[in-house]
Amino acid sequence: MRRVAVTGIGLVTPLGHSTREVFESACAGRSTIRPFVGEATARLRSPLAATVQFDAGEHFDVQQQRLLDRVTQFAVVAARRAIADSGGALSSLDRDRVGVFLGTGMAGIASMDDGYRTLYADASDRIKPTLILQGMHNAAAAWIGIEHRLTGPNLTYSTACSSSGVAIGEAWLRVASGAVDLAVAGGSEAPLALGSMKAWEAMHTLASSDVVAPSASCKPFSKNRTGMVLGEGAAIVLLEPMDAALARNATIHGEVIGYGLTTDSSHIARPSVQGQAAAMGAALRSAGITADEVDSINAHGTGTLANDAAETAAIRSVFGDRAGAIPVSATKAIHGHLLGAAGAIECVLALLAMRNRIALPTMHLEQPDSECDLDYVAEVARPGAAGNVMLSNSFAFGGTNAVLVLQSSQ
Amino acid sequence: MTTTARIIAMLVKDFKVDRDRLSADASLEDIGIDSIGVAELLFDIEDEFHLKLPDVPLDLATFGDVVRYVEEQIAAQGTRPAADAASAHEIRAAP
Repeated sequence: MRRVAVTGIGLVTPLGHSTREVFESACAGRSTIRPFVGEATARLRSPLAATVQFDAGEHFDVQQQRLLDRVTQFAVVAARRAIADSGGALSSLDRDRVGVFLGTGMAGIASMDDGYRTLYADASDRIKPTLILQGMHNAAAAWIGIEHRLTGPNLTYSTACSSSGVAIGEAWLRVASGAVDLAVAGGSEAPLALGSMKAWEAMHTLASSDVVAPSASCKPFSKNRTGMVLGEGAAIVLLEPMDAALARNATIHGEVIGYGLTTDSSHIARPSVQGQAAAMGAALRSAGITADEVDSINAHGTGTLANDAAETAAIRSVFGDRAGAIPVSATKAIHGHLLGAAGAIECVLALLAMRNRIALPTMHLEQPDSECDLDYVAEVARPGAAGNVMLSNSFAFGGTNAVLVLQSSQ
Repeated sequence: MTTTARIIAMLVKDFKVDRDRLSADASLEDIGIDSIGVAELLFDIEDEFHLKLPDVPLDLATFGDVVRYVEEQIAAQGTRPAADAASAHEIRAAP
């Protein structure tokens, strides 16, 4: 197996569009969750979301805008940024040796929502001829491939909230094994359409609005947590063999050294402590390290009652007595839950945390929960605490647990 | 405005086609309108001309083919008042 470096990062997120801006916001714990302004506002009990500031006209011509759902626009722009950030990772490569590995949970849901509105609300048969191409799950990955003429594997993973953890893990396996020489990997999500927001609300997973500060509505691991807040955006990384990255003197953001993947196969929605712990264990074995070598964790930490208690118990079962001494960060408190892009943005935040040697804070954690008794780096970033080896956890409805093991490049 | 002028205006505005390239024998592929683009264009033409185009595969290769086809359909379907046309094509209900 080859060592695999992360040599490009591309972001389109509620926290911002550059790695610097995103990391500074994450360090400062500046929440981008706001009262949601849109059609859904009047129809939701607690209209909240973390949205991306994005002008499609800056990135796409009129014809492309008609054909590309917002989720695809995010993904394509994030991929451009990752490729640009790599300083030429693509330039000398045979494009058959480059793959795209993308996660998305809901894909072109806003376009589909619009089509169904025409069909049902307007009782019209005039569905746009482009609707399938906008809505299909592999559209975003396909457009990245088309734009850069990448003719290797082009795969889309849809395992709900672990989609992009899976995408990066599967991409890592292929780069490490030599099946491809470069991977464009990550996730994209744009779920803020009325239909999908109402569907999430109906599941009783969404947070109530904090009456004092709506931006503090997502409270991972807190006793008064009430649920998750939907977010949108994309995060893409370039995975390149370490030898190639060193040979071309590339900037190395960090290294992927392991990936654990397990499936609960028990309940469609209830998280399994055993399944999550098994994924962390598998990730450690894949990296060839022991639990003692993990310095900190980027938690799945959604802010739902079920996840945060289960994840805490899973971390305890893997790390035993040492669990309470490991800094655990849950950044969804400030960027919301990006669903199929969550694993990717959190992987990037973990890499940046190690590069900058700062453990990121878990915001809005004023009231500890007796069921959540780890060190969550509450409220304030902790310099010097990220360490050199991090886990990034992604768990999901459907039971697919993906854990990445990341290592700093220093 | 003539049918030709209206279709030119649509192609220039919505499909960013260069007006100077829109001669009758201009290939749709060459001016950047692929098969998906043709489907989108016909969709827009239904709205613009208040037509209901038949749901059959078409072989439209050039700009001239499109203009001829639309003129045929206008002749066949007549020029109905806007209100009738709207109900015939199930144009979206007002919000």
